[in-house]
Amino acid sequence: MICMLRQAGRRSAVCVRRVTGVALLAARAALRSKAVVAMLTALVAGSVLLPAVVKGDGTPEGELQILLSYTLGFSFAILCLTTMWAACALFAAEIDRSLLQMSVVKPVRPFDLWLGKWCALLVLDVLCLAAAYGSAYAQVRWRIARDAWDELERPTCRHVTRPVLPPPEVEAREVYEELRSHDALPKDMSEQAVLRVLEERAADKYDVINPGGSAAWRFDLLHPVGYAERVTVRIKFDTEFSTREHVTGVCRLRSLERPEAFVDVELNDFTLNEIEFIVDTRAFGIAEEESLRGFELVFRHTGDPGSAAGIMLRFRQDVALLTPGGTFVANLLRSAIVHGSVLALLAAFGLTLSACFSYPVAAFVATVMLVLTMVGNSVARVASEDDSQNFVHKAGVRISRAVQFATSRAMRAEPLASLTRGERIENRVVAESVLWNGVTLPLVFAVMGGWILRRRELGDPT
Amino acid sequence: MAEENVIETRGLRKVFRDFWRRPTVEAVKDLDMAVARGGVFGLLGPNGSGKSTTIKMLLGLLRPTSGDVRVLGKQPSDTAVKARIGYMPEVSHLHHFLTPRETLMYYASLFGMRRSEAVRRTAELLHMVDLGHAADRAVGSFSKGMARRVGLAQALINAPELLILDEPTSGLDPIGCREVKDLLRTLAAGGVSILMTSHLLADVEDVCDRVAILDCGVLQAEGRIAELLRLPDEVRFVVSGIDEDVAAELRSEIEQRVGRAVRQEFPSMSLEAFFLRTVAQERVGKVFETAPFLRESIGGQVQKGNTGS
Repeated sequence: MICMLRQAGRRSAVCVRRVTGVALLAARAALRSKAVVAMLTALVAGSVLLPAVVKGDGTPEGELQILLSYTLGFSFAILCLTTMWAACALFAAEIDRSLLQMSVVKPVRPFDLWLGKWCALLVLDVLCLAAAYGSAYAQVRWRIARDAWDELERPTCRHVTRPVLPPPEVEAREVYEELRSHDALPKDMSEQAVLRVLEERAADKYDVINPGGSAAWRFDLLHPVGYAERVTVRIKFDTEFSTREHVTGVCRLRSLERPEAFVDVELNDFTLNEIEFIVDTRAFGIAEEESLRGFELVFRHTGDPGSAAGIMLRFRQDVALLTPGGTFVANLLRSAIVHGSVLALLAAFGLTLSACFSYPVAAFVATVMLVLTMVGNSVARVASEDDSQNFVHKAGVRISRAVQFATSRAMRAEPLASLTRGERIENRVVAESVLWNGVTLPLVFAVMGGWILRRRELGDPT
Repeated sequence: MAEENVIETRGLRKVFRDFWRRPTVEAVKDLDMAVARGGVFGLLGPNGSGKSTTIKMLLGLLRPTSGDVRVLGKQPSDTAVKARIGYMPEVSHLHHFLTPRETLMYYASLFGMRRSEAVRRTAELLHMVDLGHAADRAVGSFSKGMARRVGLAQALINAPELLILDEPTSGLDPIGCREVKDLLRTLAAGGVSILMTSHLLADVEDVCDRVAILDCGVLQAEGRIAELLRLPDEVRFVVSGIDEDVAAELRSEIEQRVGRAVRQEFPSMSLEAFFLRTVAQERVGKVFETAPFLRESIGGQVQKGNTGS
């Protein structure tokens, strides 16, 4: 038994040395190429120069928006493209120059070659990402110190709780049944297509609160708020006539644990299409060791029914309760982890394409897939294959829908949007991104890549 | 497969196909070949005769269309087999951005060698191929000959049991050629089996024990080199230190005895031998002092100064 364990240990050590050797080679190839120098220059420009050049709206919120979304967004975009194209080149270029045949005649498995190259890309990406995030954070700290931002203006990290509402698919099914009972279903659409459209509409559905009217929402917090913590209410809305219409109203926030305790906030003379106000939990009269888990929010439109406009809002998206969710730095770190896992996936995808095709073909396929992933969602949303009998149109919609289906889980997390809005990137989202993008899919691509390399003839015909 | 054969092919065939899977060329046709353990085996043939294709099938870089290949008793794709083989291709495929030291360290890592062992072997091999002075220069700036030396060094990094060399002396200067040939003879004497191809027939004659000649993918001849080249009807006497009169007498005596005319020649040394004697006599043989691990791996049989072939 001990002998077997020792043998296994020796084999693992040999495997680690092989993978490390391959990774070192790939890292050297990257560090000594001009493309990487160009990429680093672009990264520096994006991280340092871009926020200095682009002007904000003068508010700390605007400054923060630019700093985070421009700096990190630009850096991440550069890293995505560089990672994918570099990955596309790693095997393809070696096969093209007959270099890979020198490695595969040695006692190394194709999987080890794949893994070594992927690890090298991952390490380089992590270093670049760390530099970009470090630079963004340093600039935020600098701006806070230079412009003396108030406590409330500084970047935050808050849990977001949406109102308790039936899921869109349940609402879609109810509407579908109602339409069917009235024989009002469209004749040329399948049940699946109708349900999908209804589900999308339910998610994006606007409800109107007219002057004199009101709406109430219930919130169940996953993370209870304690004594002297702040609860922020956020309501975004549009008006029937214009987004700058004068609106007045009263918001009442009531604790479900202490129904007798509530806070009324009068909202008057606001013309922006977003309301945000903060309530201290001490206002609900709780003791120091107590915490609150449930709230009810009621909005009453107090405008004159004769002259004021009603407000329109999507209950599922526009109404939220924000509660303390840790530090901004931790949120920044979570965002970096999510971005790192997406880069790991792109590296894996590029490497496997690189094992299949020549560099130009692999890079083209990778870019097309990336573009389809980005536009697929919108195409799938706005178009329906049942809208037209045209074959090309139908095929395009189906391809977009297939790409969107295949990539939706990988692209679900939007860390930058959460980061700039001060919303906590939940651990569940980070874990899902790491497991799916950073482990599961790369493993699938690794198996595919290893299999392809084993099947491919790497000696050029002579 | 016979135990003494390190390479054996049976009915080996390779057909290259185009994108649409239509056959374009049959590079190797029903090749039956065996390479015995020990000694140097030369695979000869004109361009396009199927030598390199055969070698690539032996290394698992190309899959045979049909037939069977056994290398060291196993399939070429077996990693245990690959651990015992050294390979130098016809063209030195090297990463241009790496230095020779990094190149050898990389290939050593693919054999799973410990770092200390890899460092030691790398230093020895660099010294052996006379690249110690350029060990930290990027390979991309090397001449063809220097690149060939790096290629040879990487083929020896694992002290292989079977060495497969595609045109090992191409691109080398006469001294380099001689050093490589001496090294091959020495390795073979120590028990390393070597399969090589070459267009330089003089090199093959110098180094190989057995040869096989391929043409259009078909094996045309195979056997011990001395037996294949022997002219059965002719006898040559080589005598040194006699004057022309004595030579004329001996000639007429032999003519009388055999009843046929006798051709009299004054043998000359080869240009290679003259060049080496004139320019670089002191350098030849130095290589064997420089790679002790190779000497160890072949049972200490490498003898210093075993340079004559």
